[in-house]
Amino acid sequence: MINAVLVFNGQGQPRLTKFYTQLETSIQQRLLSEIFALVSNRPSGACNFLPLPPLLAASGTSQSSSEQHNDVPSLVTYRNYATLYFIVISTSTESPLALLDLIQVYVEALDKLFENVCELDLIFNFETLHAALSEMIVGGVVIETNLDRIVAGVKAQGTVAKRPVNESRGTALGAGLGMGGNFVWPGR
Amino acid sequence: MCVVVPPSPSNSRGLRSHKGNEKEYIHNCLKECRAEIRSQDMDLKATALLKLIYLEMFGHDMSWASFNVLEVMASSKYHQKRVGYLGAIQSFRPDTEVLMLATNLLKKDLTATSMTTIALPIVTLPHVITPSLALSVLPDILPRLSHTSPAIRKKTIVTLYRLALVYPETLRAAWPKIKEKLMDRSEDSSVTAAIVNVICELGWRRPHDFLSLAPRLFELLVDSGNNWLAIKLIKLFATLTPLEPRLVRKLLPPLTEIIQTTPAMSLLYECINGIIQGGILGSGDDTAGKEEIASLCVNKLRSMIMVDGDPNLKYVALLAFNKIVDTHPWLVAQQEDVILECIDSADISIRIKALDLVQGMVGSDNLISIVSRLMRQLKLSSTTDRKNGTNTSSSNPGDSDDEDLETTINPTQRATEQIAPLPEDYRVDVIDRILNMCCQSNYAHLNDFEWYIDVLTQLVRIAPTPRKINDVETIPIVGRSNSGDISEKIGNELRNVAVKVQAVRGACLQAAEIILVQLKNDTPAGSFLNSGTLGPIAWVIGEYATELDAPEDVLGLLLQLIPRITGAESLAASLQAAMKVFSLTAGDHLAQWSAEHKSKVLLLMARIVHTFEALTLHPTLEVQERAVEFTELLKLTAEAASAQEASTELVHQDTPLLLTQAIPSLFVGWELKSVATSAQKNVPFPEGLDLDEPINPNLDFLLASSESPSFSTNEADEFDTYYHQRPPATSIASEPAITRLGDERVDTVSSYQQPTEASYLDADIVARRKLERLEKNRDDPFYIQETNSIQRSSTPIHNILQSSNGPDLDVDSIPIMELDLDKLSSGVSHAPTKLSKPPRPKPRQRIVVAADENLASSGQSTPKNDSENDVGLLASKAARARRFKQSVLGVDSTNIESLTLEGGATGGAYDPEAQQREEAEMAQAMKEVERLRLEMQRANERIQVAQGVDAAGTVVKKKKKTTAKAKKSSTIAEGDDGEGGAEGGQVVKKKKKREKVAAVDKSTGDTQAGADRNIAKPKKKKAKPPAEIE
Repeated sequence: MINAVLVFNGQGQPRLTKFYTQLETSIQQRLLSEIFALVSNRPSGACNFLPLPPLLAASGTSQSSSEQHNDVPSLVTYRNYATLYFIVISTSTESPLALLDLIQVYVEALDKLFENVCELDLIFNFETLHAALSEMIVGGVVIETNLDRIVAGVKAQGTVAKRPVNESRGTALGAGLGMGGNFVWPGR
Repeated sequence: MCVVVPPSPSNSRGLRSHKGNEKEYIHNCLKECRAEIRSQDMDLKATALLKLIYLEMFGHDMSWASFNVLEVMASSKYHQKRVGYLGAIQSFRPDTEVLMLATNLLKKDLTATSMTTIALPIVTLPHVITPSLALSVLPDILPRLSHTSPAIRKKTIVTLYRLALVYPETLRAAWPKIKEKLMDRSEDSSVTAAIVNVICELGWRRPHDFLSLAPRLFELLVDSGNNWLAIKLIKLFATLTPLEPRLVRKLLPPLTEIIQTTPAMSLLYECINGIIQGGILGSGDDTAGKEEIASLCVNKLRSMIMVDGDPNLKYVALLAFNKIVDTHPWLVAQQEDVILECIDSADISIRIKALDLVQGMVGSDNLISIVSRLMRQLKLSSTTDRKNGTNTSSSNPGDSDDEDLETTINPTQRATEQIAPLPEDYRVDVIDRILNMCCQSNYAHLNDFEWYIDVLTQLVRIAPTPRKINDVETIPIVGRSNSGDISEKIGNELRNVAVKVQAVRGACLQAAEIILVQLKNDTPAGSFLNSGTLGPIAWVIGEYATELDAPEDVLGLLLQLIPRITGAESLAASLQAAMKVFSLTAGDHLAQWSAEHKSKVLLLMARIVHTFEALTLHPTLEVQERAVEFTELLKLTAEAASAQEASTELVHQDTPLLLTQAIPSLFVGWELKSVATSAQKNVPFPEGLDLDEPINPNLDFLLASSESPSFSTNEADEFDTYYHQRPPATSIASEPAITRLGDERVDTVSSYQQPTEASYLDADIVARRKLERLEKNRDDPFYIQETNSIQRSSTPIHNILQSSNGPDLDVDSIPIMELDLDKLSSGVSHAPTKLSKPPRPKPRQRIVVAADENLASSGQSTPKNDSENDVGLLASKAARARRFKQSVLGVDSTNIESLTLEGGATGGAYDPEAQQREEAEMAQAMKEVERLRLEMQRANERIQVAQGVDAAGTVVKKKKKTTAKAKKSSTIAEGDDGEGGAEGGQVVKKKKKREKVAAVDKSTGDTQAGADRNIAKPKKKKAKPPAEIE
């Protein structure tokens, strides 16, 4: 199953976090920073699979046998689009290559919903971000991979708000994403 | 530059960017949200909640707002409700209390008319589910399986699966319906896909239950044409084939066809993976066909690595190889060339996977080439690391601006990055693997040990420098080797080689010397040295000092290093080593005791004493003891040596015996052999050793008090006094009478708890008292004076005693006296010095050692206690590890394992057993309840206060829980199998009814109250939430 879906930008600021098991906020943050540390160090042409971050590796390797291996997150898949990283953490019951496609479908769905989606859309409409995700994955299990159905499902919940046109310029100019001063990722 | 971006455009003011004072700004935001979320205006409330959810993503706790989340969830407007549910998903934890209050709301929304509203609780439930919640929402969610909209149906299926994980009974009710949907060919394809996904999750846990579905699943695989579905189906089949070998024959043709024709790499890969995992390669019969499919798979995998140049394919191919390598190492070994290529890949994920593989296929012919590849990699990375260590950290664009924000996320384009140095974890991992590969099966693959020693020497240099101690505590779990261990591991390897391979011992010594020099040069004087390599290296140097070319130089080196070493273990080993080397250089009895030699030796001793003296107050006992002993010994020797005239040409003088005999004899003995870790098991038990016999009936108390913090603070001192008061080792033969005195016993026990000073005083008093007693008894003929105490044979005194006391007096039973005298005299001589000396002086150290022996021989089962503790420790460690594992993202699905899906067929043998167990459990619970109830009653009679009533209430409640649970499962097990799934809602109702009846049946008069409660409970639960919500 899928254990978590994360989206963050090039500075490690989260844009979407969805954990399919309940997790302490502090551990969530640590996991995020560990994964960001891994992801931001990828060389060009690297594959889209990350080695397990220390937080997950510790729990994974302590298991001696393969007894429960299917319950433990063992695969961290990511994709990078423009300024954003999309990460899926999953167990071995998911197919690695299929997960890559799944991320692609998700991004395409967002693109359809927002028309030329960019990071700002995700910030202003993060509710829609969640809605689209819950059309695809429920409780860690993929329920839909068809682009049109996903988009239709989100649209059925109400109109998708566009990014506020009058604000976008002003906000964006002053806005950079430099929250780094406040949210320093120790792993970097 | 900073911005907390408005989570919703409807918030017109937004959260503005504030440069420099983000913290304060966010603080203000949170404060604002706190106020807004309490407002009566629902819109304002929802917006504030949305902001909180956004901030939660950045790590700002919002658990305090859980009640407000609930309020928004209860809103009648959909767009507000949605925010509330999102808040629940993101912020509710298992311990969130308001979850109880949400039950009713969830049930209400599950039966709403609007499709979008129904979806909200369905999607939310997996995130917040608890067993009790599952129990109460199950009747409402089951009917959603037949909702008209496929979107609701598929979501419901998945949610039911998550319910089943915490509350397995869910499956019993839901499975027949889900199965029906799967079989239904007219069912919406995405619903079918969702079912397959769920079965795939369940499948590996309980494959037996799904064997009967194989025909339908096969049909789906062949006909559906949906790659997503096919991938999952193949994964599912891989878990089924081991149980049903006939499936293999059926599956092979379609799988082969897919492999040969499909353009989708993911499907191709999963086919191969399925064939590997399903054991299709391994099963015995029809070898020709197997060969064909095996070579087809391997060739496809090879081409994935070779041809395509897509790193993702490389990675997954290596994953697949990793799965084959255990069962078919020869198939993988054929691909050695491509796999070795991957070791040098720039991508760490690929490298790690290749490393895993390589470890499995290493042999004597390729070991050196593989290791040299890895070594080169390490060396390169460590040099580049040093070169541009600072550059890389600044390479992250910290000054991204709005352009980034507006960059279109193009699904067809991906960004690129620059090459980074190897992370430390990876380097440690590689070193670890190199060592493992080389020492595999007792160096079976290793032909050239000199090469290996060179590799080790090199590795010491490459190994990442150990982290500082305060860094280590941030490492969460000890499970993974950190870099501190790795250099020690390298040192241990060198030591192992030196011990095991005599032929290359000389080379080992050289290497050890080189490493020492290296360590010295790397750490300038004044800085500290905590390389783990040092301990084993020093040991090698000391133990095999005879092989050293220039022992004096090495000794000088050691003496230079010792003051800089921080690790206690390394320090202890180095002290010992220095002493050994010294005994070799100075103790050479062939050398003439010339003036030159004499002054040299004296100088050397002065140097050693100077170095060691600084450590006589070291906090670690191991170090302290060695330092103290060696300084004293050397001082003594120095006295002797300076007294001994140097031999001139005329007069020959011997080297002092202390140098030639005494000191070397401390270190010369049998050659040490390496002992297998399991060797201890082979040591036969001594006869008459009963490990179960308690050493000390008071052990529990002792252990308990040893855990008290007051003990741990000055552990050493208390032990010292404790041991000091015990008789010395010589008194084992017969216990001194004095130890049987009451006050003595009290003293030994109390020394565990009393503060140090008091116990010291006590010891002092005890010693003085003994002295007084000795004085008193001086003229008593029964107390033999110490001069002739050793002789046991009949002495004149013996004869006199015998004649005067008659033959029935056995004088030999009074050897107490002689030992007493020994003890007392030693006690007297030590008592005054002790008080004037610093905390842990040498004499006590010696006594500690002696007393230790005593303890070991008086209670032979000491080792057992140790091992018991170890076991306990291990168990608790394991438990901790398990808990940890579950806490990080893992989903525990063990519950599901114990449930049988289709009662009669598969679980025939299983059910009665479970039932019995439950009945036994229940009986026990009843008994317990009865006991508690009686207790309470008695207490009630005695004290007539309301408290008693309360307590009784709690007890009954407790019982109700267990009985209710047990009852339910047993009822179902008894006979609901047939109708079980047909109508979920009805069954549940029926269950409840039966439960009550059964409970009443079983309960005697005493448990009547419990049964009543049982009936009352559901009502109460239903009634409560609305009252609190509205």
